Amino acid sequence: MTEQQALWLELMPFYIREAWLLDERRFKEWVDLFTDDVLYFMPRRKNVPRREAHRELTELGDLAIFEEDKRYLEMRVARLDTGMAWAEDPPSRTRHMIGNLEAAFLENGEVEARTAFLVYRSHLETDHQLLSGCREDTLRKVDGGWKVAKRTIVLDANVLLDKNLSVFL
Amino acid sequence: MDTALKYAVIDPATGKIDRRIFSDQAIYDDEMEKIFGRAWLMIGHESLVPSPDDYFHTYMGEDPVILTRDGQGRLHALLNMCRHRGNRVVRCDDGNAKRFMCSYHGWTYRNDGTLEHVPGKTEAYYDELDMASLGLIEARVETYAGIIFATWAKDAPSLEAYLGDARWYLDTVFNRLDGGMQAMGPLKWLEPANWKTMVDNCSDNYHVPTSHISSAAVQSRFLGRPRLSHEDQFASPNKHVFVNGHALTFRDADDNAPRYVHGVSDKIMQMFKEYHEATMPEVERRLGTLRARRVQLGNHSIFPNGILGFRLALPRGPLRTEFWHFVLLDRDAPEELKRAIRIGSQANNGAAGMFEQDDVDNWRQVTDASTSRMARGLPQDLSMGVGHAGLHADYPGVVSERYISENNQRLFYMRWEQFMNAGSWGDIPLEPMKARFEGSATMRG
Ligand code: FES
Ligand SMILES: [Fe+2]
Repeated sequence: MTEQQALWLELMPFYIREAWLLDERRFKEWVDLFTDDVLYFMPRRKNVPRREAHRELTELGDLAIFEEDKRYLEMRVARLDTGMAWAEDPPSRTRHMIGNLEAAFLENGEVEARTAFLVYRSHLETDHQLLSGCREDTLRKVDGGWKVAKRTIVLDANVLLDKNLSVFL
Repeated sequence: MDTALKYAVIDPATGKIDRRIFSDQAIYDDEMEKIFGRAWLMIGHESLVPSPDDYFHTYMGEDPVILTRDGQGRLHALLNMCRHRGNRVVRCDDGNAKRFMCSYHGWTYRNDGTLEHVPGKTEAYYDELDMASLGLIEARVETYAGIIFATWAKDAPSLEAYLGDARWYLDTVFNRLDGGMQAMGPLKWLEPANWKTMVDNCSDNYHVPTSHISSAAVQSRFLGRPRLSHEDQFASPNKHVFVNGHALTFRDADDNAPRYVHGVSDKIMQMFKEYHEATMPEVERRLGTLRARRVQLGNHSIFPNGILGFRLALPRGPLRTEFWHFVLLDRDAPEELKRAIRIGSQANNGAAGMFEQDDVDNWRQVTDASTSRMARGLPQDLSMGVGHAGLHADYPGVVSERYISENNQRLFYMRWEQFMNAGSWGDIPLEPMKARFEGSATMRG
């Protein structure tokens, strides 16, 4: 087995476990999967000509959909526990399908991992939405386990079709 | 109420409004004609098209519009509809282009709207096509402090008259500094709610302690910001004022406090205070002492669909609205401060914003309540503070005695009636401008 294959086998269960934590609403355990210096980032996605593809995603520093540090992620999770975070109370029913993993070691021992996702959200009576996109993660070993040090989430949408984005990706 | 008028949807004495205005397709279609076909609509910001030949794709109501800056630097708002069969000539969100070629048959327009090239002009059209009359349809454009407005109505008053004395308040954010502002965005998403509810919500500070209790609670715990309790809101020195069709709130306190910024920490607040004090002489020179020191614009809406400054509620049918979230920043503010304000804005507002995400289901159900048989026959109650608003010695417009009031909302729906009942712009009342605009700031910035 190559180093690459071993890494794949090690990371796939990590992502599967993360998906279950999210879908079982175990958000405090979920937020523990991120390093203290994490950047959880979701740029906007624009319609640009094919030859200007470099402008399709907005850069860090432009208005983003998410640009959260650990404290903001913790705040979002703590909010849910108040019982009065109305966008998620009653909570969404979600299913995170994570696949297409590609991973490689960086020189500093961290790992760059790309995955694709389909996330289904059902809310209240008939609201539902399929969110599709990819994650580009930088993973770091902390105390023997992997943690996400940077996550860039790229949604496959220009105008978001959902009423809000109150679930984690 | 004048029963001869087509629309009498609010009883000002009781604040009862007919909730069919949120769901009825025929009323919605009439709104597109009589409100979005007439009013000055916010469509963009100069900073989105900074250079010659830049364009930004936007909307006036449901109509797609290309905001361009031509080679001479002049702004144009062009209906994005090829004059041949009606295809869009621009499909990108923004860019830089001298001309736009329609991808159907190749008619090509300059970025000032002129039809420049038609394939087969001679061979197929026998040189008989009146190209001069087939340019892209152009709206009137005017700017206020960098914010770009457009109207389809040839008989509309000037933008200055349209904003009227509301600008006296708007200046305290948008016209504060010599360097002006820069816009970032938009973040776009579809909300299943009628556009008017989002606009009316801009003056609804009553909802804040309930709708946003979870975010306010955690932000007070994690960031040390105020809790926004009912007691705070009821005791607030802020005021609620309606001016010339526009619904505003402002902080009225002679404490030289920096403008309240969503979700910033104590540390950032300190930085903001220093910036506020350092720029105060410039602000006083531009706006005069009263406005510089005592008046701070808060939540507000610009009729019809401008939300909290330059954010847009774009109608997409009676039951749907495309929301565009932008952030506006003082262009010359320190980068660290701009970053903090941007992050505060995007963490709290927008589709994923901690505050804004909790608004949506409330708004959507206000709309949905207008669709079922029993519910749609029952009016909304906007009676809060009836009889407790009037003219003020220091401040332009109709000022409510209390900050927490539904006076602005009642007046918003009455403004809606004025537009909907008018045969032309001549029937739409404008308040004469009476405010004293001290300082050097003008419409142009
Ligand atoms: S529709 Fe544009 S060229 Fe025919
Ligand atoms: Fe709100």
